[in-house]
Amino acid sequence: MSVAPALRHRAETAAAPLPPLLARAEHLAGTVLLGDHGRRRAGLGDDFWQYRPAQPGDSRRMIDHRRSARGDQQYVREREWQIAQSVMLWVDQGASMRFSSDKRTETKADRARLLALAVAILLVRGGERVGLTGTTLPPRRGNAQVHRLAEAWSRDAEADYAPPEHRAMIPHARALFVSDFLGDLGEVELALSKAADRGVRGVLMQVLDPAEESFPYRGRTLFESVGGTLRHETLKAGELRERYLIRLAERRDALMALTRATGWQLGLHHTGDSAQSALLWLWRALDGRVR
Amino acid sequence: MTVLGGIGFTAPWLLLALVALPILWLILRAVPPAPIRRLFPAVSLLLGLRDDESVSDRTPWWLLLLRVLAVAAVILGLAGPVLNPRQQAEGDQPLLVVLDASWAGAARWTQQIDLLEARLTEAGRANRPVAVLRLGAPEDLVFQSAAAWRSRLPGLSPMPWQPGQAELAAAAQAVGAQAGGFDTLWLGDGLDYAGRTELLETLSARGAVTVYQSPNPVLGLRPATFADGAVQLTLLRAEPGPERIQAVLALGPDPAGTVRVLNRSEARFAAGETEAQLALSLPSELRARVTRFELEGQRAAGAVALTDDSLARHEVALFAGRQDREGLELLSPLHYLTQVLVPNSDFIDGALLDVLPANPDIVVLADVVTLATLERSALTEWVEQGGILVRFAGPRMAASDIGRDEIDPLLPVRLRSGGRTVGGAMSWGEAKTLAPFADTSPFYGLTIPDDVTVSTQVMAQPDPDLADRVIAALSDGTPLVTRKALGLGQVVLFHVTADAEWSSLPLSGLYVEMLDRLAVSSAAKSADAINLEGTVWSPLRVMDGFGQLDDAGNLPGVDGTALASAAIGPELRPGVYANESRRLARNVLGADSLLTPAQWPASIPVLGLSIAAEQPLGGWLLSLALVLLALDVAASLALSGRLGPLGRAAALLGLLLHAPGAEAQQAEADRFARDATREMVLAHVLTGNRAVDDLALAGLRGLSDTLFFRTSVEPAAPFSVDLERDELAFFPLLYWPVTPDQPQPSHAAYARLNTYLRLGGMILFDTRDADIARFGAGSPNGQKLQQLAAPLDIPPLEPVPGDHVLTRAFYLLQDFPGRHASTDIWVEAAPADAEQIEGMPFRNLNDGVTPVVIGGNDWAAAWAVDDNGRSMLPVGRGYGGERQRELAYRFGVNLVMHVLTGNYKSDQVHVPALLDRLGQ
Repeated sequence: MSVAPALRHRAETAAAPLPPLLARAEHLAGTVLLGDHGRRRAGLGDDFWQYRPAQPGDSRRMIDHRRSARGDQQYVREREWQIAQSVMLWVDQGASMRFSSDKRTETKADRARLLALAVAILLVRGGERVGLTGTTLPPRRGNAQVHRLAEAWSRDAEADYAPPEHRAMIPHARALFVSDFLGDLGEVELALSKAADRGVRGVLMQVLDPAEESFPYRGRTLFESVGGTLRHETLKAGELRERYLIRLAERRDALMALTRATGWQLGLHHTGDSAQSALLWLWRALDGRVR
Repeated sequence: MTVLGGIGFTAPWLLLALVALPILWLILRAVPPAPIRRLFPAVSLLLGLRDDESVSDRTPWWLLLLRVLAVAAVILGLAGPVLNPRQQAEGDQPLLVVLDASWAGAARWTQQIDLLEARLTEAGRANRPVAVLRLGAPEDLVFQSAAAWRSRLPGLSPMPWQPGQAELAAAAQAVGAQAGGFDTLWLGDGLDYAGRTELLETLSARGAVTVYQSPNPVLGLRPATFADGAVQLTLLRAEPGPERIQAVLALGPDPAGTVRVLNRSEARFAAGETEAQLALSLPSELRARVTRFELEGQRAAGAVALTDDSLARHEVALFAGRQDREGLELLSPLHYLTQVLVPNSDFIDGALLDVLPANPDIVVLADVVTLATLERSALTEWVEQGGILVRFAGPRMAASDIGRDEIDPLLPVRLRSGGRTVGGAMSWGEAKTLAPFADTSPFYGLTIPDDVTVSTQVMAQPDPDLADRVIAALSDGTPLVTRKALGLGQVVLFHVTADAEWSSLPLSGLYVEMLDRLAVSSAAKSADAINLEGTVWSPLRVMDGFGQLDDAGNLPGVDGTALASAAIGPELRPGVYANESRRLARNVLGADSLLTPAQWPASIPVLGLSIAAEQPLGGWLLSLALVLLALDVAASLALSGRLGPLGRAAALLGLLLHAPGAEAQQAEADRFARDATREMVLAHVLTGNRAVDDLALAGLRGLSDTLFFRTSVEPAAPFSVDLERDELAFFPLLYWPVTPDQPQPSHAAYARLNTYLRLGGMILFDTRDADIARFGAGSPNGQKLQQLAAPLDIPPLEPVPGDHVLTRAFYLLQDFPGRHASTDIWVEAAPADAEQIEGMPFRNLNDGVTPVVIGGNDWAAAWAVDDNGRSMLPVGRGYGGERQRELAYRFGVNLVMHVLTGNYKSDQVHVPALLDRLGQ
């Protein structure tokens, strides 16, 4: 499978400039999977554990310059290993995502997978566990998991609009759903309410094509979904624009209301924009800093 | 056929379909354009949205217009439109076609024939029998089917004369012999001639007469005359009109013998004038070559003026034996001759031997007796090649012994000694007069004035052939002028002096006429009837109606009087006539001819020649409809957004049609030249192997950088050179990596490579295989190198000797490693006599730059750097490898220095000697 390494390579490139992402553990005690926090040993955590001299193999960004500046030796500040967060990802593999209005922009699916994988890489680098919602790929840590994710996302689904996978969500974990959310809103509502029930909080990232936002069509047009299941014919596409935009805004309002009710966050990204800004926003949202 | 607005329709009822166009407009308007299929993921949001109006987007009005126009074009095209529809001609009587068929219509002959063909076609449709009567060459009227006459049309041609009395009489007789009525079509040439009106009356009596005549006036050209040092041409036109410029061409053979236009001048008809004068001042050499003048664009015999001797200028050399009376011009023996010859002769002065190579037409020896042997032989040879030698007697000739005992080759007869004097104060008899000329004499027909007397003459010996040689005699039978042929030329002896001492002949007009007959003086008035009396002229070349000269064939000769004065007709055709060595041209128009336009009675309809042919328009309209429909397809596709690939295909097609031409290639070559010469650049040969080419370019980049940093050579970025396409002259050094699979350059490329090498270029061949096979056939690169270099102009080679200038051009080097460190590098062999001078460290080797350097050390790999200046490939191991790379760079620097400075370093061997000398 040649798609997966390429996707991973690009995701690595997108993730490279960002510092390791450590999702805030809101419920340290609630992370059940690996037991309690405070392992009394060096690891990933918020609390100071010890300074130790830098050794070959330490990344430069791990050096604590405040400590090192006092002497000639360079030190690494170690923290107490705290409990890792589990982050579950879901990326819409539906046919509707495989759309691009312009040959120069990538498809929504490409952009969504890129963003999700970049987040996954950041999270893995930060020591978190990353996995897919559902049972196919439970959260794990390590670079191999990134590879598995990339492989999992290189498979396309047949259906036009894939419903969010909400089975087997780990309680009190975090989640990231990336989709265009143009399908049945009820499925999203169901998934989010189920997640809220289990204390899972997260981010909805809506990825849209610029054409879906501007609706630049005119004349007699037969609109078809990418999968070919839905079609709508109009005699004057230009006349539909206003009402379409209103519906799109309504859809977004509904999503917003949904996320408000469940404590999630809603992000919007257009494939015409830079992936970097979207990743930055995602990182901050998963970090819990964006409310 | 229905005619609407000048356009006829074969199926006019179809035009009713045009009424349906507005309905079509409404229908097209109502039908919406086909929907565009678009993928759109957010269609889920669109579901359930209804259109406000039931009316769809309308088809744009211009597209509607396009379609309606296409349909209209189809309807009109199918209705069978015909431009210039021909109405059926009336009448079913037999048709007589009368053609003037004179030279005046030759310029518009094609039009006449086209018109005639159209009329014959019509007559054929109406089943009218047709007869054709050419007034220039009338025949009996034969009424036959139009088709039969049509097949004979190409054979008709105009005559080079106007219908004369005889022809018109024959024509009238032919018409009279025909019973019954007939209609007449008269294709006139536009010129009047006697008897035309009578013929017209005859024809009008038999039926309707229609005249076709071009409105363009007939142009003519009178014979050229020579006056005031210029050729005088008179142009005529039949009718006065607005101002008109007409070009006159002078044609004649060029030195190679090809007839071409020697001169082109323009004459101007003033408004309202029918004559235009043109004075052509031509150099005599050129004038003598002119064979005809003609009006440009007028292909008719009347627009041609053939030239004859009257324009030719003889080159005459005059020699007089008596030089003791220099001051007395009137008494010069040559005075009268000069007077006769001046109007149309050029004199050549000089000694006889100097003059003869200039090949004069005539040599006149007046009382010259003594000729040196060389002069005699040269003169004899000249006469035998066609010269005319005219000798005059005189006291010296009478006193000499010349031609006494045997006939002198340069005298026609033997002479008796002493001559005789008659009619003088001391003699018994009276001065003699001339006897009438015999009819065998060239002077036959000339009138002898009474007052011409001869008092003294030299006498001829009565030889058997004397009678044949006498062409003029005195009244007592003694010869006055004798002549004999000698080779191609002739020798003429006047038995009197050239001046008036011995006779009064030079004082009379007869003298001029006699010289004229002898072609010595071709006077401008040669075509005088009296002058020509008694001569018979045979036609050499005759003109047809179009003014083309044809061989005369076996046409009979013409009497001189008739030639001068008779009207041109079947008996006397215009052309060039010859009598002995004289040439006379007879032109269609005489010196006082006028062109009179033909006037037709008002009752006769006169039509122009220009007929507009029927032109069916249906095909054009249907094609237009197709084009419009094609446009409609393109426009519809564009509107529905599906033009993408089609548009690209069309654009590609357009691009192919407008393929970059020679200009673009030239511009490309110019740009290449500018870039290559802006700075000094290194270049490598493209091998077709991408990796090798990239490495070679990178290697040259590294070498260029090294040169830039270390020396005053500051090359720009290196070039890749395509041997087949690029100019090589801009590059001092070509690096040529050898790959086994690179294509052999073409012959043209090798030619340029050899030129490059000869002009001081250098090629560095690199087999890149460490020279493992020692340039044997063992390695594929070595074999390829042999193939590549075989057609090159390469001198003998040798391994670099230790004192070669490459070893010290910049750095001192012993070996020349690249990525490999093989030792053998081959350069042009030193001359065999190169010796080491005492006290010099080096031999004085090659004077120039070696054209090739051949090695296998893969230098480019050692030199190669990437964009950041880092070495691309490792060389050797560790520090030793870097040292090897450094030496590779040094070799490159030395090589470029060697190319750019030549044997400059080699000259350093003289430095000790120079210093030594300076010290003294």
